[in-house]
Amino acid sequence: MSVHLKNFLKEWKKNRPLFIMTIPALFLIIVFAYLPMSGLILAFKNYRYDLGVFGSAWNGLENFRYLFSSGTGWLITKNTCLYNILNLLTSQLLAIVIAIFITEINQKVFKKITQSVIFLPYFISWVIVGTFVYAFFNYETGFLNHIITSFGGEGVNLYSMPGVWPYIICAFNAWKWCGYNSVIYIAAITGVDSETYEAAAIDGASIFQRIRYITIPCIKPTVITMILLQVGRILRGDFEMFYQIIGNNGQLFNATDVIDTYVFRSLLQNSNLGMSAAASFYQSLLCFIIIMIVNTVVKHIDEDYALF
Amino acid sequence: MRRKVVSLILAATMLTTILTGCGSKASTTATDNTNETATSSEASATPKASGELDTSEEVNLTMYVISDRPAGQDVVDENINKILKEKLNCTLTINWIPWSDYPNKYPLLFSSGEAFDMAYTGSWLNFTSLAQKGAFMNLDELWPAYAPKNFAAQSEAAQQQATVDGHYYCVPTMLATYSAYGPVYRTDLLDGTNWDGKMENFEDLEKYLDLIKEKHPEMEPLDIYSAGSELDDNYLWSLGYMSSKGANNDFLFFNPEEANPKLFTFYECKDTTPFLDMMARWNEKGFYPKSALSDTDATKTQNGKSAVRVHNLDTFAGYSTTHREFAYSYANFVKHVRHFPYTQDAMVISNTSQNPERALAVWDLITSDREMFDAFMYGVEGTTYTLNEEGQYLITDPDQYAGSAMWSARTNELNRDAVGTPELFGEMKQEFEKAIAADDTAEKYASFVIDTSNIETEYAACQSVHQQYWWPLELGYTDAKTGLAEYQKQMEAAGLEKVRTELQGQLDAYVAALQ
Repeated sequence: MSVHLKNFLKEWKKNRPLFIMTIPALFLIIVFAYLPMSGLILAFKNYRYDLGVFGSAWNGLENFRYLFSSGTGWLITKNTCLYNILNLLTSQLLAIVIAIFITEINQKVFKKITQSVIFLPYFISWVIVGTFVYAFFNYETGFLNHIITSFGGEGVNLYSMPGVWPYIICAFNAWKWCGYNSVIYIAAITGVDSETYEAAAIDGASIFQRIRYITIPCIKPTVITMILLQVGRILRGDFEMFYQIIGNNGQLFNATDVIDTYVFRSLLQNSNLGMSAAASFYQSLLCFIIIMIVNTVVKHIDEDYALF
Repeated sequence: MRRKVVSLILAATMLTTILTGCGSKASTTATDNTNETATSSEASATPKASGELDTSEEVNLTMYVISDRPAGQDVVDENINKILKEKLNCTLTINWIPWSDYPNKYPLLFSSGEAFDMAYTGSWLNFTSLAQKGAFMNLDELWPAYAPKNFAAQSEAAQQQATVDGHYYCVPTMLATYSAYGPVYRTDLLDGTNWDGKMENFEDLEKYLDLIKEKHPEMEPLDIYSAGSELDDNYLWSLGYMSSKGANNDFLFFNPEEANPKLFTFYECKDTTPFLDMMARWNEKGFYPKSALSDTDATKTQNGKSAVRVHNLDTFAGYSTTHREFAYSYANFVKHVRHFPYTQDAMVISNTSQNPERALAVWDLITSDREMFDAFMYGVEGTTYTLNEEGQYLITDPDQYAGSAMWSARTNELNRDAVGTPELFGEMKQEFEKAIAADDTAEKYASFVIDTSNIETEYAACQSVHQQYWWPLELGYTDAKTGLAEYQKQMEAAGLEKVRTELQGQLDAYVAALQ
């Protein structure tokens, strides 16, 4: 112990300003992240309003039972993971492509306009997106069916075809987030020493060679960090997105239900705080396991890229 | 070395941010409960009441209602407080929970430990379940002592309905509402056709919808949106059955005409097949969109896009007053009309209330005094509302003002209709009263309230299966035969039998108590 303490004191002396700078952040984390974690015990309690979190009686794993009764738990966990992996890959990949393109544009005004247009969807709420997804795809008056029928085709009722929705949702997710995510990559690319590019250009490297051999290797650490941060959220569906696009359309649930929407739907009607805490606990636990595994793997490959 | 320490701290910070995301749902509930534990023992015991109200000290009371706060509410509040200050030496702060937040915010109101006095509640906000979980103050002694006029004016049924596990936990509304359900339909749309104007059953409705489809092909004849269809319930009610939970979107029904009714669900009922056939036909005819369950537009009948919405009598009155350019009419399809439980709208005193006596005194005043009621419900006469000769009210500027969202304050005597309320509305109410007096088949079950506390897991699972498999099925989106078999399989897996056994026991006990 004394060795650790000594080391710590030595570090403290050496880096005092840095330590002091982290105090507010640490304080916030303790107050808003660690203290509330005690509320997780709610997942194991039969909550009563008059007895409070600590006074209510324990009820074991009862609150978790409804998640897994009738096999839904596995289905929604699988959906949540697959959606997030798909969304993670598409939105990050597109963001990287966009960032590269935007930094390669030389014309300043055009560059700014392009970037703003791509960024814009980030500000549009899912409520509005949900409305125009409906206007696009509904059977009777939808834009898509108008086009199909005007070319003499037979209208399609997408709202009874669960199979296509993962792609639709993935496309809208990418559309909404790629502009926002690209900002970070643009910053990373701007940070690359421009002399490298000049040197490559003089040596006769084409634009694609420059991207392949300079830009991509330089932003690799950023890409890995971004992905690791996203992986930590893999068990959390973007509730708003799923809820606004799919609504209460039961026909699509098997393909589109994620943990959050399922919990919301089944608990809206009986306001059982213990059950929602149980779902939250389940998500947190899986998130934690996944982030630990991924980080260990990354560390194994290249220690510098690991988060911790 | 330095780099490593810094990066370590950074990493720790990042990790915790990730975890924060994970833990945030629980955080809101956890923070403030420690101080609540202290008061719990005292709250679960019945508060003693002396009956003598002490108004010597000025207090401020807080009330929570669910709705969006009108922009001009300040004028109304000021006026309410002027009267309250004079009569009961107190002031009232009304807090509004917006519609967008209520599913999350409302249950948290009672777990946050915040001290407040009154809140709106209702059966649709899980009043019974919240009461069982100790969210509200026990009113056994306080209600008769401090709101004597209100208590005396309540019907016996209402008092019984306010009881959970043998104790009073809410003050129900005194405005009677009815279980009547049926089409709110436009008559002006078929002017100039040979429509006979008859609307008594589902066949008449189908004829009407056919004509609308023919004459107004641009319309969606029947209003169905993402909240699901209510035709299934209405169909069974029209045959005389009742829902176990007494409201829409149920999956267990019983026949009140039987002496010892047994609960049944859709796939055990002989009337389900004709119903599903009818809906498949309606879907085929295009009476509603094939993707209606993803359509979030709840105003299709109001804004003229649809011709019919199957709903209750109040919706008919509401549409008629706000859209006087359309000629709406109404028909009730329910075979045995009964009063809705008065706990449909109710007021509760929070466990954390510091002045429950004064709060009940205020409630007594609002629900018995004309001046106070008008000030509370409608605001300031001449500024926020006006009255016509018949005593009907009109909100002067709907963008600025609205009636109070504390709907449970309404009483049969004091409540005013809005200007433009159709005569049919009043006539139908009288008719229902007569019908109930003559036929108590359903009325005797008006106080039956299911208690799902022992089967919460199964009940939640069943509700979820019902929504996923029944909602598309009842609109004819999925094939009736295979759809029904799939629904049955899923319902059984979700634990329907356990739910049924529990609720059947409660129903049997209720029937036994009736005799």
